Amino acid sequence: MKKNLQWKLALIVVVIGLCLFLVYPPKDKIKLGLDLKGGTHLVLQVLTEDAINVETDQQLARFEEVFKKNNITFLEANKEKPGRFYFRGIPVEQEGKVRDLIDQYTRDWDYSFSGDRLIFNLKLVAAQYLRDLAVTQTLETIRNRIDQFGVAEPVIQRQGSDRIVVELPGVEDPDRVKNLIKVTAVLEFKLVKAGPAPDEETLLRDFGGKVPEDAEVVRSDPKRGTQGYYLVSKVATVTGKDLRSVRRGVDEWNNPAVHFTLNPDGAKRFEQVTGANIGKQLAIILDGRLQSAPVIEARISDSGIIQGRFTPEEADDLVVILKAGALPAGIKYLEERTVGPSLGSDSVKQGLIAGLVAIFAVMVFMIFYYRFAGLNAIIALILNEIIIFGAIGYFKATLTLPGIAGIILGIGMAVDANVLIFERIKEEIAVGKNIASSIATGFSRAFSAIFDSNLTTIISAVFLFQFGTGPIKGYAVTLICSLVANLFTAVFVSRFIFDAFVPTNAKRLSI
Amino acid sequence: MQIFKKTPNIQFLKYKWIALALTVLIVVAGLVNILAGKGLKLGVDFGEGTLIRVKFKEPVSVSEVRKLLSEVGLGDSIIQEAGKESREFQIRTMEKRTTTQDQEIESHQILADRVIQALQGDEDRQKLTQGMLDLNSLDRNSLTNLLRAVAPDEAESLANKIIDYRTENGIITSWEELKKEPINLTQERISYLQSRAFLGKMTVLSRETVGPQVGKDLRKKATQAIIWSLIGMLVYIALRFKGVEYGAAAIFTLAQDVLITMSIYSFTQREINLPIIAGLLTIVGYSINDTIVIFDRIRELQRTMRRESLENIMNLSLNLNLSRTLITSGTVFLTVLSLYIFGGQVINDFAFLMLIGTIEGVYSTIFLSCPVVLFWNQYFKKKKLHK
Repeated sequence: MKKNLQWKLALIVVVIGLCLFLVYPPKDKIKLGLDLKGGTHLVLQVLTEDAINVETDQQLARFEEVFKKNNITFLEANKEKPGRFYFRGIPVEQEGKVRDLIDQYTRDWDYSFSGDRLIFNLKLVAAQYLRDLAVTQTLETIRNRIDQFGVAEPVIQRQGSDRIVVELPGVEDPDRVKNLIKVTAVLEFKLVKAGPAPDEETLLRDFGGKVPEDAEVVRSDPKRGTQGYYLVSKVATVTGKDLRSVRRGVDEWNNPAVHFTLNPDGAKRFEQVTGANIGKQLAIILDGRLQSAPVIEARISDSGIIQGRFTPEEADDLVVILKAGALPAGIKYLEERTVGPSLGSDSVKQGLIAGLVAIFAVMVFMIFYYRFAGLNAIIALILNEIIIFGAIGYFKATLTLPGIAGIILGIGMAVDANVLIFERIKEEIAVGKNIASSIATGFSRAFSAIFDSNLTTIISAVFLFQFGTGPIKGYAVTLICSLVANLFTAVFVSRFIFDAFVPTNAKRLSI
Repeated sequence: MQIFKKTPNIQFLKYKWIALALTVLIVVAGLVNILAGKGLKLGVDFGEGTLIRVKFKEPVSVSEVRKLLSEVGLGDSIIQEAGKESREFQIRTMEKRTTTQDQEIESHQILADRVIQALQGDEDRQKLTQGMLDLNSLDRNSLTNLLRAVAPDEAESLANKIIDYRTENGIITSWEELKKEPINLTQERISYLQSRAFLGKMTVLSRETVGPQVGKDLRKKATQAIIWSLIGMLVYIALRFKGVEYGAAAIFTLAQDVLITMSIYSFTQREINLPIIAGLLTIVGYSINDTIVIFDRIRELQRTMRRESLENIMNLSLNLNLSRTLITSGTVFLTVLSLYIFGGQVINDFAFLMLIGTIEGVYSTIFLSCPVVLFWNQYFKKKKLHK
């Protein structure tokens, strides 16, 4: 073998070996997209306005307290909208003291006196920070929940200012996970003042038809079987924030339930309230819906049971969300795609069959039409595929249906490159040149066409990658990989095969 | 082997007016259909409704499905049969634009839930509310928990077997299937399962909803991506072939590739989704490849045959490359045809589009790319020629 053929062979073996290494074993190295594997793709928006709203409520309550403590009188305190609240009727002579107090307590709010009102406005920077924090916290909470639930290889990413993308491969019960992500999970224990009643009117009969100032009405969760309205105290005895640990267990009738323990602070309050209200009911409320209202039978200090006719799955999910904590803001689903595992595996199977039939048909045609040279093209094509999958493995790209389309375009262009070269060689032979120089001219003449067409397509694919989303990006990646591979296999490898197997003084060429 | 014994000598450029007329005819017909007729159907990807794929236990007909949906006021949904046994269906609910922007995805989901409930039927829903579990939608863990009672040691492996079997077949149609290979449940275990679970009438294979906000984003980004990649190609070709006319001709060819393909596509019932955009780009890719190969030949012949008129050089280039054009397009056509036949429901629209595109790409390369260069030279470079 000639010297320059030896290093060419070495290069080819190294490249192919490397790609085989990168793709082996394919089950682990090639990640299938959700459209092929089955799974759920969710895009959700964090309602960051919620975080602003909570902050406004908290600040309003805080300043009410501060003003009262410092003997500052006012007629009315009110929230105008999220990020804006006011106090009305603060005496003029107290203004100076008020200014000092505000400066002492907050830097995030702008304030101004206008007429008889003291108006607070949340600073833009502070609002931006709160929104950002809400998204980060939501993302963390969702990640915690999904981790606790146990999904293999979830992708949870922030997208833009207030969106989160969640990808859950291979989930069999997507609705359950969707609900698990979406619940706000605010847990509250509140004393029951009255109830249950079939409707609000009956419930409030003893209170003159009006909800007392220190109470509120909650409905029982329809999922828990019983329907009814309860009047409960406005202030929660303990909340989800006071939980120290939760675990799945059973209640005294062996039904699934959730056991919890409280941190010292919460336990102190719990002990006090339960001790003083033996015989009364304590409502357990999740996201504003009453789960159960057991009767307090004894003073309870730091542990208890949440029961509520849960199914085992519901009890498990409750443990997950209580452990992961509440969402700082509500979320809204913007996009939802769920592909069941059987449809995904169907797609893979059918895509594989179609791909194999296609490659087989192309191979048969190439051998039939080009004989020895056709075999050469097939080897180039197979190596091309190995390089593509090696690259996909290396870049950790996911293979999707549009990605397969990209590979098909790549196969087409790989075959085309060989066809161009072979037709050119035929032309040269037809003119009467000898075999060796026909091969040389054929390759060099065809090269500019192959180079230009591949590069043009690569350029367009790069733009698609840059500006495209999801499927279009997947398409661009496989296309770029296969075109680069193409320049190597169709030009370099094919040429090597001709040079290695066709003697320089050959009289005939099987093409 | 050769397609042509001798280099053919077909005067392709003679037919340029006929070709142009044919193109205009198709494009106008398509545009009329798109703008005034049925129009292009935007798919779920672009924020239009919900797509649900379901598989039934027993074969049913489209009209039965429609009847079930009519009962909940969704009789106007698009219902298509997929697969061969009349058991798989694809349902597109059309959203009624009465809700505000904010609630739309929620309303999509409510619609989808209603569709699924309606298809489930009263019997299944009743069983669910009684606390029975649907074996055709149960997840692995829950099934394992359920089986622990009768098979504490094998619960997990049995659950895996059952779920894998269900994944393979889409749906479990009868209890008999669970007795047979590969699951081999004993009668005792089946009786237990029957007491706690039932075989749902249908299962949801996939479900896709895209809200209007994301739909709008996707539309914008897809358009942007296409426009920029076309500009990129134009610039590269103009530079490489040292003439704006070649770039312009390539872009003109591509524009009409897209227009013709979309025109023909608009006469079918198929929808436009992101994979279809990928398909369009693939067509554009092939077509540009074809066009460049011809231009490359022209560039080469212009160097060796300086005396010959451009029109003759073009004809010669087209003829010299004819067998290559046919072979390449033929192999691509074979590939796409196999995708169309064997590729399954999900990839079918894509393959169909590609079938139109491959044929159309050959036509546009042969009959349309060169005339544009000719026209350009005639109208914009007259001064140069007279020098």
